[in-house]
Amino acid sequence: MKNAAGRAALLFLKNCIRILSLLLAVSIISFALVSASPVDPVQQYIMKIGPVSAEQRAAIEAYWGMDKPPAVRYISWLNALLHGDFGISLLYRRPVIDIIAERFGNSLALMLCAWVFSGIIGFSLGCVMGMHRGKWQDKIIRRICYLLSSVPAFWLGLILLLLFSVKLGWFPVGFSTPIGMLDSEVGIWQRLYHLALPALTLTLVSFSSIALHTRQKMIDVMNSAYVLFARARGEGGWTLFVRHGLRNTILPALTLQFASFAELFGGSVLAENVFSYPGLGSAVSAAGLGSDVPLLLGITLFSTLFVCAGNMAANLLYGIVDPQMH
Amino acid sequence: MKKIQDAVKAGGFFRRLFITMITVCMFSGCASRHHMAPMETAGSDALGEQVVVAVSTEPSTLDPCQGWGHGNTPLIQSTLIKYNEEMQFENDLAEAYSLDETGRIWTFWLRDDARFTDGEAVTAEDVVFTFETAKAAQASVDLTFLEKAEAVNDTTVTFLLSRPTSVFLNTAASVGIIPAHAYGADYGTNPVGSGPWKLVQWNPQEQLILEANEDYYGAVPSIKKVTIVFMAEDAAFAAVQAGQVDVALTAATLADREIDGYHLARVSSVDNRGFTLPVLPSEGKVTQSGYPIGNNVTCNLEIRQAIAYAIDREFVAAAALDGFATPCYSENDGMPWNNPEVVIDTDVDYAKKLLADAGWADTDGDGIVEKDGTVAAFTVLYPSGDSVRQAVAMAAAEQVEQIGIRITVEGTSWDDLAKRMFSDGVMMGWGAANPYESYCLYQSGGAFQDDFYNPEGYQSEKTDNYLSAAMESLTTEDAYGNWRLAQWDGETGTCMKGMCPWVWIVNVDHLYYVRDGLDIGRQQLHPHGASMPLLQNLNEWQWNLQ
Repeated sequence: MKNAAGRAALLFLKNCIRILSLLLAVSIISFALVSASPVDPVQQYIMKIGPVSAEQRAAIEAYWGMDKPPAVRYISWLNALLHGDFGISLLYRRPVIDIIAERFGNSLALMLCAWVFSGIIGFSLGCVMGMHRGKWQDKIIRRICYLLSSVPAFWLGLILLLLFSVKLGWFPVGFSTPIGMLDSEVGIWQRLYHLALPALTLTLVSFSSIALHTRQKMIDVMNSAYVLFARARGEGGWTLFVRHGLRNTILPALTLQFASFAELFGGSVLAENVFSYPGLGSAVSAAGLGSDVPLLLGITLFSTLFVCAGNMAANLLYGIVDPQMH
Repeated sequence: MKKIQDAVKAGGFFRRLFITMITVCMFSGCASRHHMAPMETAGSDALGEQVVVAVSTEPSTLDPCQGWGHGNTPLIQSTLIKYNEEMQFENDLAEAYSLDETGRIWTFWLRDDARFTDGEAVTAEDVVFTFETAKAAQASVDLTFLEKAEAVNDTTVTFLLSRPTSVFLNTAASVGIIPAHAYGADYGTNPVGSGPWKLVQWNPQEQLILEANEDYYGAVPSIKKVTIVFMAEDAAFAAVQAGQVDVALTAATLADREIDGYHLARVSSVDNRGFTLPVLPSEGKVTQSGYPIGNNVTCNLEIRQAIAYAIDREFVAAAALDGFATPCYSENDGMPWNNPEVVIDTDVDYAKKLLADAGWADTDGDGIVEKDGTVAAFTVLYPSGDSVRQAVAMAAAEQVEQIGIRITVEGTSWDDLAKRMFSDGVMMGWGAANPYESYCLYQSGGAFQDDFYNPEGYQSEKTDNYLSAAMESLTTEDAYGNWRLAQWDGETGTCMKGMCPWVWIVNVDHLYYVRDGLDIGRQQLHPHGASMPLLQNLNEWQWNLQ
């Protein structure tokens, strides 16, 4: 017992060290990329506010630390980071951490919806295709999957926007709350209503990969010796699916689903932009285009952490789903 | 013409796709009609009392000391003086102001009935606090010339300047007065002011909700609630289609579509586009930051002027911007400090004569002129992704080719452009409601700096003298006179007739879809940037519903 607890602690510690070193690496790489990129935050800033004198310009440069070499800026940034200070966003003139906290809620709701629905839909359709390999169900669903996986997220978003918001007028054209409504008056249903189209977009573009993978795994299972043996015993249809198909395909599906956090985040950047949805995705593209270095780096680190957490959750879930993994 | 239209479209394949889809939608008669009632947004008050405006650029703060309202009206705060539609100064918080004979001490007398929205009176102390805070913040308001601000009594303020500075009035017209008693770290998101509007709520990257300030000392707005939503032009176009906004900023490529229940408002601007052309020859010199200076073609005055005279600006406006632009002849066409003499007529024969007189001739029959082995060909850069600049540059280049000068139009990143702008031409754009911009563009000390104002390297002692005289003038009229002389004094100047460091091409119109029945008042001549200038006269907007 003591041994098991010790092993778990060790595993946890290992994971933490791994995540920390990954974060450090990501911070160095992204900082280096930003420093090497064409953007000059001071220039961006000045172009936004109009004519300034040379003294003024020097003062602004000093404020942003542009007179120091990149390595020095990195160290001071990392030092501030370790003290919990992510810096002030250039675009919003507010602490980066506040913006992330504010936006993360919106993005999490969006990604969670899309993640749950794409998981359920993808896995179910994958099972249907695998169980009916070569039949019409398989053919139709597979073609839909191919089609959706080759459609860019923002294009699909535009189509949905045109159809449901512009043409039919069923959904709002964007944002997370009704235009002109005070936060205090916005209810949960209104938020879900505004979430619907972006979540649908994200679901549609992400379920096909899980469906196609599940199909392949299901076909492997159905071709296996133990399924042949089960069939020989007279099992078939639903019983065969529950006893053999489901149990043996759910684990790879779960892995894939948890590993899809990175793609989900990438997709949300596009979906949020199409629907003017104020989440981390639209913030990161605004930060990138507006040369808001502190915000860009903050969100990069945060999303790294988010994706790592997803992968770690997959590792932990293995143990629960499949006791043999101990 | 075809080439140019392709260029415009290549800039946005997906925008084109989007427009096509929207157009198909409209032709099939399915543009939503059940959304046409003006007020279907949430929390609807009485009809005709609120308005929803979609713009593309979001302010980063509502703190005037951090850059809010700089060059535009601050809406929530009020300023000492303000511009009227003719860009003349009018009193706002100030009842009167004067300048002493040294040109260094400004005195402002304030009205005594102005109150912040928290009920406190606006006093001279608040004005002093504002200018001191803005100067200390060093964010955007250039107050390096301000030595000291002092409250003489509750309603009298004096400003001591380190040297006479005529643009101080322009600065006074752009700095919103903040309350000394209610200013803190969160003021930028939670402002208290004495302007016609109160901030109700701000959801960053989404919307900003304003409410009319019923206790405003001036005319209380007839619109009671304004929601400003921030969306890209494509998204705004969809929102107009769906009838979910009342006013939306749009682009020339989108503006030719009729939308039921909306009309197009076209506002003139000094949002200019033109070529900067290096005026020095390439002799191996580099800038402070180490970038090469000079161009052996554009350093010739006759080349620059021939380009200026060869371009048919109406053609460029039609070809590149569907006609949503006007010919441009200087950095500030139409402003009170502009010299009307800067206007030139397109004259291809004169352009050819300029070249021939200087010895440029097409000796090898390739259509491009040469002189002493130098071919009249050079590159003009534009920031890639900016389809307007690309189209204007290409249309102008096509015009110039007919006199035997070849301009290669090349898109590149801002970074690359910033390194090459001292030796290549650049498709650049400026435009401000402040003559100080001319000072930045043309004074010798600004040449070859990295700030994009004077990459062409224009330096002239005569111009410097006019610019300094304009800055140090004691009256607005004197200052304007000197700004005009810097452009053209009858012999030389910064305009195209003079030394021609810039070839100005078009002023880009700012375009908005406006719901029928909404009157957006008389718009001032807009500066560079189309989002905030639209809201300049927000308190004059009204619904005319039958």
